[in-house]
Amino acid sequence: MAYKTFAAIDVGSYELAMKIFEISPKKGLREIDHIRHRIELGTDTYNTGKINKERVEEVCQILRSFKEIMKSYRVEEYKAYGTSAIRETENTTIVLDMIRSGTGLNVDVISNSEQRFLDYKAIASRGETFEEVIQKGTVIVDVGGGSTQISLFDREVLIGTQNLRLGLLRLRERLLNFQAGATERMSLIREQVDNQFEVMKRLYMDGRKIENIIFVDDYLSLIMQRPELGFSRVGFMTRKECDNLVGRMRSESIMDTARFLGISEERAFLLYISLEMMNRIMELLEIRMIWAPAVCLCDGIAYEYAEKNRLIKLDHDFEQDILACARNIAERFKGNEARTVLMENTALKIFDSTKKVHGLKPRHRLLLQLAARLNDCGKYISMSNVGECGYSIIMSNEIIGLSHTEREIVANIVKYNRADFEYYSAVRTQTALDRDSYLIVAKLSAILKITDGLVRSYREKFSEVKTTLKDRELSIVINTSEDLTLELGLLGPKADFFEEVFNVRVNVLQKRI
Amino acid sequence: MTKKGKTEKAEKKGSVKSKIKDFTDPSLYTNRELSWLLFDNRILGEARDKNNPLFERLKFLSITASNLDEFFMVRVASLKDMVHAGVNKRDIAGLTPEEQLVKIYEATHDLVDMQYSTYNRSLVPQLEHSGLHIIGHHETLSKEQHEYLDRYFDENIYPVLTPMAVDSSRPFPLIRNKSLNIAALLKKKGGGKEDMEFATVQVPSVLPRFIELPGDLFADEMKNHLILLEEIIEQNIDKLFLNYDVLCAHPYRVMRNADLTIDEDEAEDLLEEIEKQLKQRQRGDAIRLEVEEGIHKKLLKILKQELDIRQEEIYSINGPLDLTFLMKMYGMKGYEDMKAKPYTPQSVPELQPDCDIFEQIRKKDILLHHPYQSFEPVVSFIQQAARDPKVLAIKQTLYRVSGNSPIIRALAQAADNGKQVSVLVELKARFDEENNIVWAKMLEQAGCHVIYGLVGLKTHSKITLVVRREEDGIRRYVHLGTGNYNDATAKLYTDMGLLTCSETIGEDATAVFNMLSGYSEPKNWNKLSLAPLWLKDRFLYLIRRETGHARRGLPARIVAKMNSLCDRDIIAALYEASSAGVQIDLIVRGICCLKVGIKGVSENITVRSIVGNFLEHARIFYFANDTHPEVYMASADWMPRNLERRVEILFPVEQEDLKEKAIHVLKVQLADTMKAQVLSPFDTYEKVDRRGKQMISAQETFCNEAMELSRQIALSQSTAQTRVFIPETHK
Repeated sequence: MAYKTFAAIDVGSYELAMKIFEISPKKGLREIDHIRHRIELGTDTYNTGKINKERVEEVCQILRSFKEIMKSYRVEEYKAYGTSAIRETENTTIVLDMIRSGTGLNVDVISNSEQRFLDYKAIASRGETFEEVIQKGTVIVDVGGGSTQISLFDREVLIGTQNLRLGLLRLRERLLNFQAGATERMSLIREQVDNQFEVMKRLYMDGRKIENIIFVDDYLSLIMQRPELGFSRVGFMTRKECDNLVGRMRSESIMDTARFLGISEERAFLLYISLEMMNRIMELLEIRMIWAPAVCLCDGIAYEYAEKNRLIKLDHDFEQDILACARNIAERFKGNEARTVLMENTALKIFDSTKKVHGLKPRHRLLLQLAARLNDCGKYISMSNVGECGYSIIMSNEIIGLSHTEREIVANIVKYNRADFEYYSAVRTQTALDRDSYLIVAKLSAILKITDGLVRSYREKFSEVKTTLKDRELSIVINTSEDLTLELGLLGPKADFFEEVFNVRVNVLQKRI
Repeated sequence: MTKKGKTEKAEKKGSVKSKIKDFTDPSLYTNRELSWLLFDNRILGEARDKNNPLFERLKFLSITASNLDEFFMVRVASLKDMVHAGVNKRDIAGLTPEEQLVKIYEATHDLVDMQYSTYNRSLVPQLEHSGLHIIGHHETLSKEQHEYLDRYFDENIYPVLTPMAVDSSRPFPLIRNKSLNIAALLKKKGGGKEDMEFATVQVPSVLPRFIELPGDLFADEMKNHLILLEEIIEQNIDKLFLNYDVLCAHPYRVMRNADLTIDEDEAEDLLEEIEKQLKQRQRGDAIRLEVEEGIHKKLLKILKQELDIRQEEIYSINGPLDLTFLMKMYGMKGYEDMKAKPYTPQSVPELQPDCDIFEQIRKKDILLHHPYQSFEPVVSFIQQAARDPKVLAIKQTLYRVSGNSPIIRALAQAADNGKQVSVLVELKARFDEENNIVWAKMLEQAGCHVIYGLVGLKTHSKITLVVRREEDGIRRYVHLGTGNYNDATAKLYTDMGLLTCSETIGEDATAVFNMLSGYSEPKNWNKLSLAPLWLKDRFLYLIRRETGHARRGLPARIVAKMNSLCDRDIIAALYEASSAGVQIDLIVRGICCLKVGIKGVSENITVRSIVGNFLEHARIFYFANDTHPEVYMASADWMPRNLERRVEILFPVEQEDLKEKAIHVLKVQLADTMKAQVLSPFDTYEKVDRRGKQMISAQETFCNEAMELSRQIALSQSTAQTRVFIPETHK
């Protein structure tokens, strides 16, 4: 049969969800089942830091029933991801092992940025509507149980993303703890949004005209899909419609809202929080329209699977989004754009011509490109400790689409670009990276160090290089009439490191023009 | 005037009219119990209708009796519970439970009088005229006839009787619910008048209710002579009490509030309250006592006292108690000419025997109309799925099924063939609880995954999902119906069903079963609307949309067919629609709490009820929606229990030809002049004024149409088979 049956499982903060897809190059992704089970793993994690064993057993029970459903559809492959509730718990490893032994299913934990990137991919999988909405300044507000991800688009490109600790479950717990009444509830939510948005707005949004919000959650988004509620377009809500709805919800009890919408009171309460948050964000950013594509992580998981297995044609270039994010960070930390471009081009040239010796994959090429792009952002903090400061900046900033490990790799490459490389045995106890990942750091650092040596000056002495690998020698030919004494002089130790890593000698030749 | 001009004018007019009216006034509504009694009266009307074949009239009379029994056991019992619990909450018509009971007793006494007047004055003489003699009293029999019955008593009845006397050492026995008994006053032989004792004996339900006497005992030319079992026992009652003289003996029947479950039609908060109260009091109170007319005063006094029953709860019966025996009589052979011609459900043109049902559904959606069309395709749908190697899973909801159901067998076979079979069994289907438990266990043993539904909600929806893995991917086939998956009742109940493989309905069907399995509801529904969460809002939306259209001067009309209409919100929305100018035609078989002809409220509403040989059961809803009519079908009536406390499904019929077919069904029902009765502004139902109108019986019309369609198909098939190709010869 010309299609694959795939199951995407999301072990989320407040529900376990599974979607079954048929994926084929001809028809793309076709969702054939969506099963959800409410279980508040997040409440345990956020309140006690741990998920108790009864709750894990409940998770196992649900996953076992998911497995039965997978069997009934004859699912060929699956991918299960755990998000913040599992990621932030102190006993992650134990929980994952209990799930594995109790169900036979492997659940991988993904970082917040990976999770948001998958959500983002799910949104982008909505094709035409997505492309239509992002033509104008757009912000994606992805509300989760523990946090909210804000991602900013400008002219079709994702330029920045921030994670705010402003999740629905967190907010609900806070409101319940304060025993807030109706009026206090409203001001508390608005205050929380204001606090979190203040910096975000100054950093990214000043001077930018934002017109649309793409809204992702499990409550308001669903309400917006209901034609009987009379939104001018299903899945969309204007500012006025949002005001009307929020006005109605403020004036009536949660019980009345639940009755009006035909949902449980618990859902109605979370819907209220979500709507109040949304309304405040709309006010702050003077938004015209919200679009709720009603997607979830499972859509993103399936999209990623299909993409990796070349089962679908991509409509959107996600690598460009990751790079745009990095460019935005570089800009924010006053990186030199011209030098960065030259660094990137040169590093990639070296990467491409040394493929045979480094054996790395295209994804690693992207990491190198990001490192090149962010190589001097540390200077913004300290001219004397560029590497360490660069590392900290990268680790403190979200780069949507990168896993935690990948971000650590990029940060280390930037760090060792200026600092002496430390061997794994020396950092083993301090680094979060395993030996294999650290080897990637070594290889990509070696390339970036050479590049940095060549592009040392901030005066663009050349515009491109030619590279050839022959008989364990990498020849780098630079066409320039400028004086390269500084570059060649500084290259020595970097070339030694390169040789140590790849067993390839670097030979730089200047061709005067 | 331009359309815009018209619209503006209508809007202006509408804005005056649309000033929100208060539709909460109880005088705008009819009490549901009294409306139900009107329905039983309409059935009684069929028993009285001389145009109906005699045995059909017997059947209708029997139905009124069994209906009334159910009414007492469920509704009256429930109201009495409320009274006991001190609940004074007023109903839709503003009546307290106590007030409702008063009106119910009044109406039921009239109804019972009418039942027996029909039996005695109309049916018994007619039966006699047709050669069937029902012996009313054993006292009228000859010596030979007596001797025959005495022998019958000694050999067949006596061994199963348990007479019980009551005195100071023997308390009054528990008289079983719905049982027929004979009460007697005894006097010890040689004792004084003051030594009178009470005794009772149950008429055994294991024996046939009536016995046929040999024709040679009679000199007349009657075909059959029947006598009721209680008469034979009465004739021989002194054999049960040997040392006593039997002063008198009379049959009586008790109905009890023995069932501890509370009727789900009551509001949830009430149920909790009543349940609490129930726990605190003696259970099994008598709620109705039927006694033979002329019963000895002393006997009646004892019964009244011992059963703790009030005067208005006593029904003095002029004839045999418990007329449900007439249904058995209907089954007697030799009277076929006095019954309606039996109808054989016709085959469905698209689904000829041995066809690949999945292939046919892929071609187009198929609408089934039972019992005019056979239920066999529905059974076959599941049977084929059970055998088909491409089928991965079968999921079905079951509410009531027949004994030895072919559907259950097919599901078990499917599980045996390795399919994933999930069956939602509703254990709480009223009066079918035990039956359902038996076959639910059977399905479990066969390897099916049996789900027992959602806590607190009866699953009343009728849906089957077959998941099939085909060349181009998973395809889902769905059957949605208005009636149960019961091949036996499908021959008697009028219902409609849709077979489809629409992707969107398939997605929704999958979500329905996920929900019923305990998973969360889907994020969004494509086509289906489900109770209790979304259905009522959906109906209100559809009604209000028509209201809006009417106010803007656009075409607006609602035609809705259902079994009962008693949801206040829906009725209020209909009143609002009517006052905005929407023409509303309702075909409501049973309870209807809506009133017609109220100025400014329901002048544009008509209500009709059809009672025929088949039980009207389909729920069909038509909304004009300007010029884009929408047709829906559902498992739900417009009742609070369906809309708020059950899992029900509303599905659209979207394919144009099928939509036309459904609209045709509604049109024919609205044109019925034979079996339809129309609700008048005086809250009575009147036969349609036939003057100048064609004689149309909707049920007969559908039978004829289905037969004609079958005939045409058979003809076209035989023509195709006999067509012979004659080659042209070259000369």
